[in-house]
This record gives sequence, C-alpha cells and structure tokens, in this order.
Amino acid sequence: MKRYRLMAAFAALILVIAACTDAGSDGSTTTAAAGGEGDGGADGATLAAVQDRGSLNCGVNNAVPGFGFVDEDGNFSGFDIDYCRAVATAVLGDPEAVEFVELTAQQRFTALASGEIDVLIRNTTATATRDGSEGATFATTTFYDGQGMMVRTGEFDSIDAMADTTICVLTGTTTELNLATRFADIPYTPLTFEDNEQLQEAFIAGQCDGWTSDKSQLAAIRSAWPDAEGGPEALEILEETFSKEPLGPVTRDGDSQWSQIVDWVVIVTMEAEELGVDSTNVDSFADTEDSAIRRLLGLEITDADGNTAIFDPGLGLEPGWAADVIREVGNYAEIYDRNVGPGSPLGLERLLNALWIDGGLHYPRPYR
Amino acid sequence: MATTSPQAERPPLWRDLRVLKVLAQVVAVGAAAVLVYVVWFNLTNNLAARGLSLGFDFLDEPFGVPVAGSDFSPGSAIWRALIVGLQNTFALVVVGLPLVTVVGVLVGIGRLSTNWLVAKASGFYVEALRNTPPLLVIFFAFNAVILQLPQIAEPIDLFGLVIINNRFIAVASLSNVEGSGVFWAVAAVALFLAVIVWVWRSRRFDRIGSPHHRVVWSLGVLVGIVLAAYLALGGPVEISHPELEGRVLTGGISGLAAYFAMLAALVLYTASHVAEIVRGSILAVPKGQTEAANALALSGFQRLRHVVLPQAMRIAIPPVISQYLNYTKNTSLGIAVGYTEFTLIAFQAIGNGQPAPQLILLVMLGYLAFSLVISALVNMLNRRLQFVTR
Repeated sequence: MKRYRLMAAFAALILVIAACTDAGSDGSTTTAAAGGEGDGGADGATLAAVQDRGSLNCGVNNAVPGFGFVDEDGNFSGFDIDYCRAVATAVLGDPEAVEFVELTAQQRFTALASGEIDVLIRNTTATATRDGSEGATFATTTFYDGQGMMVRTGEFDSIDAMADTTICVLTGTTTELNLATRFADIPYTPLTFEDNEQLQEAFIAGQCDGWTSDKSQLAAIRSAWPDAEGGPEALEILEETFSKEPLGPVTRDGDSQWSQIVDWVVIVTMEAEELGVDSTNVDSFADTEDSAIRRLLGLEITDADGNTAIFDPGLGLEPGWAADVIREVGNYAEIYDRNVGPGSPLGLERLLNALWIDGGLHYPRPYR
Repeated sequence: MATTSPQAERPPLWRDLRVLKVLAQVVAVGAAAVLVYVVWFNLTNNLAARGLSLGFDFLDEPFGVPVAGSDFSPGSAIWRALIVGLQNTFALVVVGLPLVTVVGVLVGIGRLSTNWLVAKASGFYVEALRNTPPLLVIFFAFNAVILQLPQIAEPIDLFGLVIINNRFIAVASLSNVEGSGVFWAVAAVALFLAVIVWVWRSRRFDRIGSPHHRVVWSLGVLVGIVLAAYLALGGPVEISHPELEGRVLTGGISGLAAYFAMLAALVLYTASHVAEIVRGSILAVPKGQTEAANALALSGFQRLRHVVLPQAMRIAIPPVISQYLNYTKNTSLGIAVGYTEFTLIAFQAIGNGQPAPQLILLVMLGYLAFSLVISALVNMLNRRLQFVTR
C-alpha cells in the first residue's frame, strides 16, 4: 500500500529519533545518511550531502495533475516537479538527478524534519505555525493560490447556500482549518480522507456535496474528471475564494545556505522571464550588453578598468548555474504554461501569478 | 586467581554458572538502558536543534475543525477531540468483539459440520478472508458496498424504522418522556427477576429433571412486568423515528457509513481467524469425550453444547485474546476511509501543526490501554472457566 501508512508515520518518527546516530557514515542515498546532516543543521551540510549523494531527495505530491503527478509508467510531471528539477540542475547540473519521494499531506513535515527529503515542493502553504513550530523555512512563493469549493454542476450557486451539507477535504491540510473558519456559521459535516483518490471515490458516490481544496488543485482534479462521470462539465468551481494560499518550496530550519539556494532557484526563473531569457534563447546572449542578463547567466563582465570577472553572489553554486536551470527547465513562464497554463488541461490564467510588470504578484528580487 | 575457596569444587568466577546468569541479566538490562538513553538523547537533541518542544501544553489548544458524526465544536480543546476519537474507536470495539465471537464460533463449528455445503462454505469464507490484508477488506467494504448504497436524495426507508443511504444508517430508538426514570427502574428490576427465574428453573431441572421451559418463564416475567409498567405509567417512553428532511436527520440513532464499513470489514476479517482457532480447539478435545457423549445417547447439539464446546473454549480463549487485540489495533485503519477514530483525530492534529512525537506517543499509549483492558477482562473470564471446570 503505497499511500496509506500508519507505519510510515512511525518510521518517520523513528527517523527523527535516529537522525543523529551516524553522521556521514556512508553518504549513500539512504535516508538515514541524509538525516546524518541534520546534527544541528550546520550551514552548508545539506548542499554537501546532496552533492555527495549525487541526487536530490525531493518531497512531492503524486496525485495532483499539473502540479505533482505520477503517471502509469512512474514518470513524474508537474509544476512542483519542475521546481525539483530546477533545484537539482542548480546544485548538480542535472535535471534528472532527483529522487522523488511521494508524501501525503500529513507526512510531509515529518519527512522534512527527519532529513528523509532535502526539499519539500508539494503545494505547501506558508503559514506562521509551520514556520515557527514545524521547523520549516519557506522559499519565495511559486504559486499564489486560494481555497475554493467544487460542487456538482447546478447543485449550489454559493457557499452560503451550502447549509447542512457534507464537505470532503484532505486531512492534515490548512484547507481543513479554512473550511471550519468559512463555515463557522453554516452547519456542515467534514469528511476527511488521506488521499485524493479515495476522496474522489466518495465524491463520485455522493457521500459529500462539496469538495474543498486550493482552487488550482480543484481545477486539476476537474480537468481529469473521468468521462464516465460526465467529464469536467459535471463539476463547477464556485467563484468565491476564501483563503490565501501562497505555495512554495520548503526547507528545513537550520541550514540557511541551503534555504537560500532553493529560494534563489525560484527567483532566477522569474528574473529570467522578466529579462526575456528562456530555454530556447538562453545560449544566444553571449554578446549581450545587458549587464543584468550577463550577471544572471554567469557571463564575463568587464568593468570600467577593463578587468573581467564572472558575477558570483556567493550562494555556493557554480557560476552559470542559473543558465543551466533556464536551459534545462525553463523560465517561470515556460514552467507555468507547460504544466498549468491556458494551453494545458488545467487552463489556469496567470492572474496573481503574473509578473509584477504585468500586474501580478511575482516580484523577483534583483540578482546582483 | 589467588583466593580460590577451600571447599572448592567451585569453578572460577568467569565459569561459575550462577555468576554468569546474574551477569547476563545485568548486561541485558544495561544494554536496554543504553539503547533507551541513546534514543531519548537523540530525540530531545534533534527536537531542540529544530526548536521543537516536548511538552503537552498543546493539548489545551483548540482543535479547530469539527468531527464528523459527533457534536464536537471546532473551538474545543485537542484533548477533547482525542476523547471523541477514543469513543469512536470504542464504538467499533464494543459492538465488534461480540459479533466477532458469534460469527467466529459459528463458522468454526460450521467447518467441522458433516453437511458438505456448510463445511465448504465456511472453509471458503475462512480461506478468502484470512489470507487478505485487512486494509483491502476495508476498502472493499467501503468502496464496493457502502458507497454503492443509494445516495442521500433517495434513501432506503424501511417502514420509518430504518433509513439507509451511503452517508449514514439510522434506526429508530426509544426516547424518554416525563416519568421515564421510574419506568427504567422497573424494567431493571424486571430484568433482575427474569435472571432469578432463569436460575431457579435451571436448578430445578438439574435437581428433579422436570422440563425447565426457562426461556418462556423468564421472558414471560420480563415482558409481563415491563408491559404492565408501560401501561400503568401511561406511555413513559416513545419510539423516535429517524426522519430525513433534505440532508438533515432528526430522531433515531445513526452511525456514519464509514463506521458500518469498518465494522463489517473488521468483524468478517477477525472472525475468520477466530473460526480457525475454534475449529482447532474443538479438534483438540480428546476423542474419548465425544465417544462418551455418544454412548450417553446425547444428541449432536447436546454433545456440542455440554461436552465439546466447554472444553474447547478453555483451549480457545488465550489465542482468541490476541485476535481481539488485533481487532482493536486494526481499527486504526479507519483513517483510510475517513472514519473519525483515535488515530485519524491524532493525525489530523499533526497535520494541523501539532507536534508529532507527543501525539504518536499518545496514540501508542491509547492502544496500549485498550489492549491491556481487553486482555485483563478476557483473562478474568479465562481464570473463571479454568477454575470451574477443574
């Protein structure tokens, strides 16, 4: 049973316990060795461990098309998956050097704290409690989302009309708490499930009247709704958005260098979009005069005195890492369009996720 | 070794069996202590390094979400939610274990039946369920049975007494009106009298052998008194019919669909194991006992009831206890179908930002307590049976 795991939770607990026992024993890909770097989380330890191991352990979702999804052949794809690949490219130079670890919503922070994964990119909402008491550090938001409600077409036209309904929701998510807040004055019954497949079965059978989750997830699920059940047209997502869900990568507290690397991988994809650099033209800028592009791509810069130098922000990565990320994975627009954009089955417009120059919220910090 | 004792067949210390035995125990205890220390040291160290606490203060914080199938309010404390979870687990255990026993004993006897169909059907049931993981049985019960029940918009309604749909099953119940306290007191007395009558008829039968008719006598006493009291008090209780208006259920008592899926799956699964134990225990009763019963011209039922089963049960009880414990622990699989039992509530809290080590510790302690209570109760029964028959 790959998704259902009481055992796994215990195993994760044991990992927390065992995390310190043998720091750097063999540096192989075992989780215990990965946990070995957790002794106090010394700065740089995670980067060194990942580079020793030669692959990145990335905690992901496996059941949300467009964000984190594994197909019948075991291939991972999605927006979050691409960010795993981007981080792997930045630190290892190879987008394929990723070990995807499939996690349920409630396993994820334990897996992160225990060192089973190096980075968690699993549509995770940044909140104060997670920052403060889960030992998590949030990188720049990759996707601005909000919670919505999906119902069978025509049954309800607003959330306020949903009194005395049963609402299906995943356990261990901020979604549950937002739902309780939104329905504070509306009587309802929550039905909680561990994974989307089981929830979908219950929803199809009519056990619940509404399905609440982040709107992006709902769109993903709706896009893949089985034709036998009427296809996407059988469902509608109510207009109201009742929470803020900034989703982004998460790292362990205590290794700020590693957190900075993950953070800047996200930022450079946006910076690249802003500068007009994408995977198709990234190698055509060798002669550009634009110093911002030269810095981003790790090209030689000649100062007023005629000295040449390659810009290195001191993140601990090879020069040109950002160019590798853009070449192998793409800039933000490419990642977005490929997985969730209007051309994809999800068909999500950029809206809040547009760059600041286009009226959205993504405002990449300057790479200098 | 300078000081060898004079009476000294005694070997040197390192070959003295008595010393070595003590030493072995000291080493074992020491090793266990070191292991516990290392584990504890690592846990506290790692938690401290990540700024996480090991306290239990969080139990007083609000749980934040309602719990399906209870009137738990989201603002109540986490420990209250855990209690609701324990109650739901208890509801599975207290209804399930008697059912497991009945089904298990019947099927176990059925496997030994001389009736070909009964024996083969029992055998098929046991082999099919005993060799299937319980989680699979639960998924089957939930997805293939419970979810296929009619939707709430068009439920099955049996004479207003039972309402069945794939969200819950509700049945009519008794509800109290004024003066019902007296009625229930009379009913309790009637039950007590019925038991006394039962014992009296049984003893009389044992003494002089006249037909006891104890079922008729006892039921007569019980029903007679209760009915008289009901009429005399002018209808102190009335039947509360379950009624469904839109999605709102009023009256009766109801259980969530997931509860029935869990109950059916776990009872059938565990009963298959109990059936094997019962069958083995019956086979373990010496053949001479059966032959002696036959010699006394006891009927097949009398032989089973008075000779074979009492002896078989003595053999069966200890292994059946572990099946009861397995049942109890398997209720934690309720999390897979959204049944709000103890583990699900704890995991919900963990998912909502509460500390995992403490909560998992509490879950472990909760199941430990359940198991200890069950085995204590059954062991008590076991001792009684052993004593009586010796």
